[in-house]
Amino acid sequence: MRVLAVLVLALLPGLALAHGDEEHAAAPAPESALFEPPAPGSYELPPIRRVSEHELLGSDGAPAPLLALEPGQVAVVSFIYRNCADAGGCPAALGLLRKLDRELARAPELSGRARLVTCSFDPGRDTPERMAELARLMEPKGDWRFLTAADVDAIGPVLADYGQDVLRVATDEGESPLFAHLLRVFLVDAEGQVREVYSASFLDWRVVLNDVRTLLGEER
Amino acid sequence: MTIALRTAVLLILAGFLGSALADETCQSPYLPKVVGHEDFVYVWTLGIEGVGDGQDKLVTIGANPARPDYGKVVSSSSLGGRHEAHHGGFSDDRRHFWLGGLDDSTIFIFDVATDPANPKLVKTIEDFVDASGGVVGPHTFFALPGRMLITGLSNSRDWGGKTGLVEYSNDGEYIRTVWLPDDAAYGYDVRVNPRLNRMLTSSFTGHANYMRALSELLQDPEAMKNFGSTMVLWDYHARKPLQTFRVPGAPLEIRWALQPEHHYAFTSTALTSKLWGVFRKDDGTFEAVELADIGDPAKVPLPVDISLSADDRYLFVDSFLDGMVRVFDVSNPRKPKVILEKKIGSQVNMVSQSWDGKRLYFTSSLLANWDGTGDPDDEQFLKAFDWDGKQLKQTFALDFRALGLGRPHLMRFAQEGFFARGGAAATPEVASDVRE
Repeated sequence: MRVLAVLVLALLPGLALAHGDEEHAAAPAPESALFEPPAPGSYELPPIRRVSEHELLGSDGAPAPLLALEPGQVAVVSFIYRNCADAGGCPAALGLLRKLDRELARAPELSGRARLVTCSFDPGRDTPERMAELARLMEPKGDWRFLTAADVDAIGPVLADYGQDVLRVATDEGESPLFAHLLRVFLVDAEGQVREVYSASFLDWRVVLNDVRTLLGEER
Repeated sequence: MTIALRTAVLLILAGFLGSALADETCQSPYLPKVVGHEDFVYVWTLGIEGVGDGQDKLVTIGANPARPDYGKVVSSSSLGGRHEAHHGGFSDDRRHFWLGGLDDSTIFIFDVATDPANPKLVKTIEDFVDASGGVVGPHTFFALPGRMLITGLSNSRDWGGKTGLVEYSNDGEYIRTVWLPDDAAYGYDVRVNPRLNRMLTSSFTGHANYMRALSELLQDPEAMKNFGSTMVLWDYHARKPLQTFRVPGAPLEIRWALQPEHHYAFTSTALTSKLWGVFRKDDGTFEAVELADIGDPAKVPLPVDISLSADDRYLFVDSFLDGMVRVFDVSNPRKPKVILEKKIGSQVNMVSQSWDGKRLYFTSSLLANWDGTGDPDDEQFLKAFDWDGKQLKQTFALDFRALGLGRPHLMRFAQEGFFARGGAAATPEVASDVRE
């Protein structure tokens, strides 16, 4: 296990990257210059599935709804865990979300209309205190909420509702601190409809931003 | 080394390698992939009247020599009739396997996670035509995050080649239909390159043609006019067509190069026996280029399935009527070279290769009414080969007629323990490594 601990520690720079200077918190899409995302409103994002509201825990330990959307608002929902050792997984997604947070904050017309929600699927380790610590690391400029759940039983139905595949990796010695997960990011409208699902492997913050603008443009 | 430790190592490697290994050869890049030795090959099999129970079925074949079921039928699930079993694909979490019938447009969804050796039917979609607004013949099943993208081959208005792209949620709920553009209305395959935000579609023919006997069809000049001769390049995210390419002779399977710096794709044309490439140009637009003959086009070998190795070096091209596979070295994608021609059987259609490129599997069936055109015996087989970069060496073969199974078509791989140990939920880069 000592080797494992060393290996996990070796990955901390991945998270540090997400916490670097804003100019260096580059979007994790190195090939993004290969295409120009379609313009907001020039395409449709039909509903993919409907999700329910879920009562979770905020980073202050108080009960908090996952979405809490009012009409005319959208949410970008992601599920992560802080022990994630895959630099291309949760740390990369947090880097993208941090960039997205900055871009949303820079757009006054989106102020108060787009919310980021990052929820842990490892509530046993990711206590409200740890999520508050993550929030401090991310230094949100806009409305970015960090949630967890009371326990594993409370997060299970949420993951099932979103279709977020998460499994704890089994080991020869029993429980592992690692999860295997296909990291997805969900764009949800005020009616609880998932309008886009993004893969962590091909995240491009410009696309997400345009999708937010596309959905909010529907309200006009 | 414990699984957790190996996983940690592989997670680190994944971080370094990034998307270089994010694709499984010939499958959606959004899928976690089987990179170790496959334990099973799933075979979507057409029923033959008088052979076994005569029904279409999903057959599971043992493929790992370390297991006692190697080269044997592990399980078989019959589907209550003949639907013109053809293609299928995994959902993006690899937990479900979607299978389509080209005749009645029925879609079957199997759970392949609970017990990979014994897939279980969990849902049947019988209203695909109505739900999609008239698309007929679900062909390619291409996993997108949270969704399944399905190409049609035809339509319910005139049963010709005009068709569309249909999306369903992973739960099997209809989402939308995007019809192909009027100047390139036929459909066949679809492949997405997320790095470029580009999608390619190809074109075949409609229900009125693909359900006719091939020998009869070839004698009908009017019917032969109704084959696709176009490919369409799309803005993937917007689902908007950007460019239409003229690619005569029914361009079928599409394979994007897998390496991140390779911005091109291959296809083969069934009727004109040509290998084509679609290349990104410096200005971001694309061009379609005829690259090579596949066999002797004058003899109409009818190229069908193609398979590109994960390193973008070898392209395996099957041709149905002469039962041949031709291996092209496509290291220089604009100058392919044939390095091997080998007879697989009296007819051959599909080819699937392992991620490491060391093993290839071939099946014989194309369409129920096209099989046997060049072979009165209409042999039906799955044959497995080892590939060393120069030669194909057969390792086992199964006679699907003698086994009472039918006409074997599409193949996909699976592993025991892929799900039990969390592999399927891992990122694509680490998916199956935990089970090596």
